[in-house]
Amino acid sequence: MHTLAMPTIADVETWYAARNWRVFEFQRQCWAAYAAGQSGLIHAPTGAGKTLAAWIAALLQSRGADEPLRVLWITPMRALAADTAAGLQQASDALGAGWSVELRTGDTGSAARARQRRQMPQALVTTPESLSLLLSYADLIPQFTGLHAVIIDEWHELLGSKRGVQTELCLSRLRALAPSLRTWGLSATLGNLEQAARVLVGVDRTAQIVAGVSPKHTVIETLLPPAIQRFPWAGHLGLPQLPQVIEALNAACSSLVFTNTRAQAERWFDAIGAALPDWPIGLHHGSLDAGMRRDVEAGIKTGALRAVVATSSLDLGVDFTPVDQVIQIGGPKGVARLLQRAGRSGHQPGQTSRIVCVPTMALELAEFAAARRAAGAGLIEARTPLRHCLDVLAQHVVTLALTSSLSADQLRAEINGTHAYHGLGDAEWAWVLDFVMRGGSALAAYPQYRKVVERDGLLHVDDATLARRHRMAVGTIVSDSMMRVSYQRGASLGSVEESFVARLKPGDGFFFAGRRVALVRVRDMVAYVKPATGSSVIPRWMGGRMPLSSELAGVVRELLAEGDHTDAASPELTALQPLLSVQRRWSALPEPGLLLVERMRSREGHHWFVYPMAGRHVHEGLSALLAYRLAQRAPLTCSFSVNDYGFELLARTLPDLDADGLRALLSTDRLEHDLPASINASEMAKRRFREIARIAGLVFDGYPGSGGKTVKQIQASSGLIYDVLARYDPDNRLTAQALREALEQQLDYQRLRDSLQQMQSEQIRLIDVDRLTPLGFPLWADRLNQHRVSSEGVSERVARMLEELEAAAQSEPAATSTTRRRRVSSRA
Amino acid sequence: MLDPTQTLDVALAGESVRLDARRALYWPRRRTLIVADVHLGKDSVFRRAGVAVPSGSTGDDLARLAALLLDHGAERLLVLGDLFHARLVADEPWFADMDRFRRQHASLRIDVVRGNHDRIDGVPAAWQLNWREEPADEPPFVLMHDATAPRSITTGYALGGHLHPVLNLTSTRDRLRLPVFWLRQDHAVLPSFGGFTGGHPIEAVDGDRVIGIAGDRLMALPNRRR
Repeated sequence: MHTLAMPTIADVETWYAARNWRVFEFQRQCWAAYAAGQSGLIHAPTGAGKTLAAWIAALLQSRGADEPLRVLWITPMRALAADTAAGLQQASDALGAGWSVELRTGDTGSAARARQRRQMPQALVTTPESLSLLLSYADLIPQFTGLHAVIIDEWHELLGSKRGVQTELCLSRLRALAPSLRTWGLSATLGNLEQAARVLVGVDRTAQIVAGVSPKHTVIETLLPPAIQRFPWAGHLGLPQLPQVIEALNAACSSLVFTNTRAQAERWFDAIGAALPDWPIGLHHGSLDAGMRRDVEAGIKTGALRAVVATSSLDLGVDFTPVDQVIQIGGPKGVARLLQRAGRSGHQPGQTSRIVCVPTMALELAEFAAARRAAGAGLIEARTPLRHCLDVLAQHVVTLALTSSLSADQLRAEINGTHAYHGLGDAEWAWVLDFVMRGGSALAAYPQYRKVVERDGLLHVDDATLARRHRMAVGTIVSDSMMRVSYQRGASLGSVEESFVARLKPGDGFFFAGRRVALVRVRDMVAYVKPATGSSVIPRWMGGRMPLSSELAGVVRELLAEGDHTDAASPELTALQPLLSVQRRWSALPEPGLLLVERMRSREGHHWFVYPMAGRHVHEGLSALLAYRLAQRAPLTCSFSVNDYGFELLARTLPDLDADGLRALLSTDRLEHDLPASINASEMAKRRFREIARIAGLVFDGYPGSGGKTVKQIQASSGLIYDVLARYDPDNRLTAQALREALEQQLDYQRLRDSLQQMQSEQIRLIDVDRLTPLGFPLWADRLNQHRVSSEGVSERVARMLEELEAAAQSEPAATSTTRRRRVSSRA
Repeated sequence: MLDPTQTLDVALAGESVRLDARRALYWPRRRTLIVADVHLGKDSVFRRAGVAVPSGSTGDDLARLAALLLDHGAERLLVLGDLFHARLVADEPWFADMDRFRRQHASLRIDVVRGNHDRIDGVPAAWQLNWREEPADEPPFVLMHDATAPRSITTGYALGGHLHPVLNLTSTRDRLRLPVFWLRQDHAVLPSFGGFTGGHPIEAVDGDRVIGIAGDRLMALPNRRR
């Protein structure tokens, strides 16, 4: 047993000295602020000592092993919680603080849980979801009243998401239980640090903002393709660049190769393995079995692996000695992310870190140049915190009602202290209460519905089944239904979206976990596979592709507008010139003050390619609006897809408009009516509703083994629930929230309005093109998340599709493998 | 009045039947309206379990059923299973709708092939439902809940539901998900009737006929993956 004397700063200095560390000034700053009872946000790049800054601050106030629960450590990464707890325990032991650090996540066993119910350790490492669950137990309430601090790791990762909102709600509860509670957040660099700090501590408290060691100098380089003329205009894998990447790998002792998607990671792992058969290399992505991931992490730490191909699964949390070199395959997408990844190289704080960028398609050259300019200018993305999410609030109200200890008014007072719900209107609050107590608004109460009841002035959940089911569903993470991938004889490889497996037939090969496997059969939500050779497809995981941040999109616009006028053009832009001149020759280059619209006819129908260069979110709104307004003029089914540079509209026929006619369609008149209508017509709101329905307890993910018949009886898809609500309770505020989320988060209403206004005074240049241009090609080839708006009847639409099927069947012999994806299909 | 654009006459096992876009099948020779997977009371099962789903779909389903019986001049209603979503709890508010439906169709014979969701105890006797265990033989048809299940009567053409069949129709410019009648070599699967029911994509093969419900029209759809 350690002596129970409180550690001092001198003890810390001794310990640091023994390990050849030095105490940074920002760490002392934290310790002093913490000792004074203050809250705050510490921001610094990964590996700069943030964790110890916060944790030692807490240990300096420790009084030994007899203390009650003092510190809650919240991590967004359940998989890393065990490592974190071990690291914290080690520091506590080294300093003789006598604290015990335990883990509480979804993986914690029942014995440990029962022990914690009786007696919490001095510090508990947990996730937002598990914390929320802990707050649902009445008998745990006394254990929280002695808390000194809540420390939130990777706060930037939570901010801007519903998990962040859930964290805010948990914090408001803890502050009510322990009024002098400190809140400390650890964050990577963000564009809105002050706001991040305010959200963290709540509206009526102040936060210290502590800057960690100044960011390392980062060098961003690009591997230029040898011949831009033959460089793909679209595509995601980038394998033509393999020889140069191999050369770069050979030149370094250890490398991390980051990709943007799991599919890219699988493919590159395979290709590098084939090119360097003798090398120990590793693969790391979120769908792999946890054991395989841990092996790879250990391999990086010990230096046993010469190269690791990874996705964003390695962006967070995992601490390891920096590698020699970081390679980024594919567009940077965000400045903060690129810098974070670059920070994995370079050995000492303050040293230069380098990232070698590998474009997979032509326009990514401009993105890398833009990332360099943005990083140089300190233009880091902001994460905008969410407000007034009624789904998360409804879940929280039920969670706290499970403790039978609060009145509705108390609860409202607590949440009013959060940034997320400060100033929530009376009507909205009343609706949330009605929703959990009566199902719908007071006027349209749902018969027989009951969940939360009010008795003796307190909120209760009386039904044990409802209570159990709610506890199982606490959280805001919505994932696609995943299916385990396993060899026939046992070994689990990881998991993959059920929708991917559904497209495979037994015998079909695919890449997974760095191997070529073939599907044998699917049984009980497990896809059994065997080793395979020959041609394979790569799982096209959902959600792997992310849009360019608006900060970066802005700089790309700037660069393209500057074109070759700048004397000091970057190597990337210089390399891009031949492509830009093709664009100029066949069509035109978008430039400020000019809206470029390309019109093309093909077997698919009439295409319009429009390039406002305003970022993906604005393009989503513009294309939905334009499609909707076109469909209002005449019966029409119009599909549209967007990227960061523009959007494509496609219909059987599109009207022959001149510039003024098009400008009229882009007017801001009736925008507040037409935009929501276009979002509803394109079912964007319905898609958003999926997450809302899950969080608000309207749909349940399957719980393996715990479902039984009753859960099956109340399972319905969120789409079906949405339709029923739209029909029988049109004033439901959760469907309204779906619309609002689509408008605000997906479409960026304000920027959309500004863009439309700007277009009214811009020159509109309509160019008829007879083939896809360099700018149009990626839009055509990457039709992801295609939306559509229709003013035709269902039977007309079916008739047209049947016509098209017929035509496609007739021209069948002409179809080649490259046009395979474009072909019409009726898929059962 | 029956709207001729809403129906399609087809022959199944040599027997002439009429498909209706309101998700029903009419068998003229037996003056029988056939539906499957009505799932009455599903919304209230959800509400009682604490899932806030509004009411209304059960009443609408009964109204649609009444219109179909009238338009086709049916004398018998045959339900191919899952008339109810779960075991009935006494005095549900929607019982009043069902009582009214029964009073308005006092002479109607209602046969129900018991489906996996149906629980017979607790069903009010006043509704006069004739429960039939599958397979029920009514040549040329064999009445089932799941027509694809193995059955003791091996001859005859099976009619069933259970699958809630839908077809995803996709073209370059458009995509739709349609409930379908899935007419196969030795059995047919009806679309689910209930307004608060989902669908499951089917895997049609050569020789199948797939009749899609496109709004208020019926349209033959291609039967194979391309």
